[in-house]
Amino acid sequence: MSNVLLAHALAFYLLSTITGVAHLVTGQDAMRRWAFALLACALGVHAGALAVRAVMMGYEAVATFQDELSFIACIMVGTYVLMAVVLVPRADLTVVGVLVTPLAFLFTLSAYAFNSSTAALPPQLQNVWLPVHVAPAFLGYAIFALAFCLSVIYLLQERQLKAKRKSNLFRRLPSLETLDQLNHRFVSWGFALFTVGIITGTLLAKETWGALWSWQPVELASAITWVLYALLVHARHTGWRGRKAATLTVVSFVVLVVSFLSVNLLFPGKHSGSFD
Amino acid sequence: MQREVLIVGVNHRKAPVEVRERLSFADGRLQEGLRTLLTLRPIDEGVIISTCNRVEIVAATVDGDDAVEALTDFLTSGDRIARGQLAEHLSVYRGREAVRHLFRVAASLDSMVVGEPQILGQLKDSYSHAASEGSAGTVLHRCFHKSFSVAKRVRSETGVAGKAVSVSSAAVELATKIFDRFDDKTALLLGAGTMSELAARHLLAHGVSRLMVANRTFERAVELAHEFQGTPVPFEEFSRYLSMADMVIGSTAADGYVLTRDRMQEVLRARRYRPIFLIDMSVPRNFDPSINELDNAYLYDIDDLGEVAQVNREERGREAEKAESIVDAEVETFWKWLAALEAVPTIVALREKMDAIRKGELEKTLATLRDLAPREREALEAMTAAIVNKILHGPITHLKQHHREHEAFYVAAARQLFDLQEPENQ
Repeated sequence: MSNVLLAHALAFYLLSTITGVAHLVTGQDAMRRWAFALLACALGVHAGALAVRAVMMGYEAVATFQDELSFIACIMVGTYVLMAVVLVPRADLTVVGVLVTPLAFLFTLSAYAFNSSTAALPPQLQNVWLPVHVAPAFLGYAIFALAFCLSVIYLLQERQLKAKRKSNLFRRLPSLETLDQLNHRFVSWGFALFTVGIITGTLLAKETWGALWSWQPVELASAITWVLYALLVHARHTGWRGRKAATLTVVSFVVLVVSFLSVNLLFPGKHSGSFD
Repeated sequence: MQREVLIVGVNHRKAPVEVRERLSFADGRLQEGLRTLLTLRPIDEGVIISTCNRVEIVAATVDGDDAVEALTDFLTSGDRIARGQLAEHLSVYRGREAVRHLFRVAASLDSMVVGEPQILGQLKDSYSHAASEGSAGTVLHRCFHKSFSVAKRVRSETGVAGKAVSVSSAAVELATKIFDRFDDKTALLLGAGTMSELAARHLLAHGVSRLMVANRTFERAVELAHEFQGTPVPFEEFSRYLSMADMVIGSTAADGYVLTRDRMQEVLRARRYRPIFLIDMSVPRNFDPSINELDNAYLYDIDDLGEVAQVNREERGREAEKAESIVDAEVETFWKWLAALEAVPTIVALREKMDAIRKGELEKTLATLRDLAPREREALEAMTAAIVNKILHGPITHLKQHHREHEAFYVAAARQLFDLQEPENQ
């Protein structure tokens, strides 16, 4: 059931990407509206799929790495939609959407392709701290992903402005100020949530394995990422904005993804898909 | 007699401003003009468009030749211009060409600066004046509403509008790529000059809330500041005010750079690296070009802006072709509607439609009543035919009776009420 829904969500993501790109190329307003409507459909179906999964499997709904990606993708798209509708309804953020949607597609595809509902979550992990750790961590990751997309577009826009070259795409990019302010907001929120996720994570580790810190790869990777984002938040207050802030956001997110991937795929420790 | 839309008047393509201004209907004269227009015998409906680029009368009539004559007289009435003098500047559009012309005007394809947005508003005003005077009827209501929707389509589906083609509007366009909103921004005007004043005016028109003016002669700065409701600042100290300005327009007659890279670096630090947009309108240049290499400072000189405007002009040309094909398609749709707007074909279509319904229903009924005698069948046939005739009697009499300026209204209503399709080709 949830996999059928997931397949539909994938189709919607793909269609939304195609119409979004079509809007950027042709400039047709109808395409922009379609892209957004399709993305909203994808979000609804995706959320439905995850809800079904959570009801059927409980905590084990997020037992594998791919499941986590799927959850994060859904939250990311949800946050984007919220941003486009509530936060900055004045600005045209379709370009951001065109970056977010294929990302969500890839994340969800991995969950769909490697659907391994058999992965068992060790019973000792299944305590009340798990959702308290997972929810803010996922939300943080999703918001960082969005901040990354915003920064990529910021860098694109800033390059065009500096080089004084103008492409057709240029006209459809939001203003630097919009992108920078959103980036700032998202990095701050993401950082707060990520911090909560780390704290509850260590508490979960204490509850499960008896130690707050046991030099697991995931703990190291998280610490490095946390430091980078802390730097970014701090730098804002000393006047680091614009290009530098955007670059650091991109770097931080790349580090985050690399560490997240390597922890989960290369070093199967306590935290990854196989909880040995 | 073919019902048609026609346009008689002068526009910037054939008539110089001296002619256009003599014909123009200033606000006070517009009402009177519309009333006079209604009294002209061959004119059923009329709208007067009077802007600085055109004075054109859009009319609906069934007698095109007489209407052109009457409208030419109307334009030359009151000794505004000699008929012979008007002839060489006059533009007459008839039939499809008239509809196309109106659509192109609405979509700003016929403007002096193609794509400028004001014309649509002016057209809407012209139309609403005519509507409130009662001089626009069924045909022109439809024609103008159609022209507004054509303009909207052209705006949303092509890039004809929304591109800056002048240097100062290019500056505004660039500013919107840097800043999210203008109402919390401050601009600084350095030196005076036609171009820079125009750019300042553009920025203010787009909502920039504060303007500071610095000029070598302080009196001139005060004067300009007064004109723009800004604040004059002493020229010698302008760089102190730079940290407060988000946009700077430079056009001093200075020989060297009045703003160096090092100074700008300090300003940026003082601004905590909030972005700043510098527009250098002067030759030789006022701002060190290498300022553009600094983070969060965006410097455009007059050539850069000219290039932006030029690229836009070229793109606009390409987009205009797309727009023309939209216009063509919409002209055809309107034309079909207009061509069908006559009593006789409408009556025929109405009868055909009703008869088809009658026959269809009759056949269904007869199929279930197989054992009817031929006489009984004939009776049914006659009865249904009589019902249709009786029902249609009223509508058809109305359609036939009405004098031509009401005919369009009743025909349009009948076509809509009975859902009659426009014929494929007239």
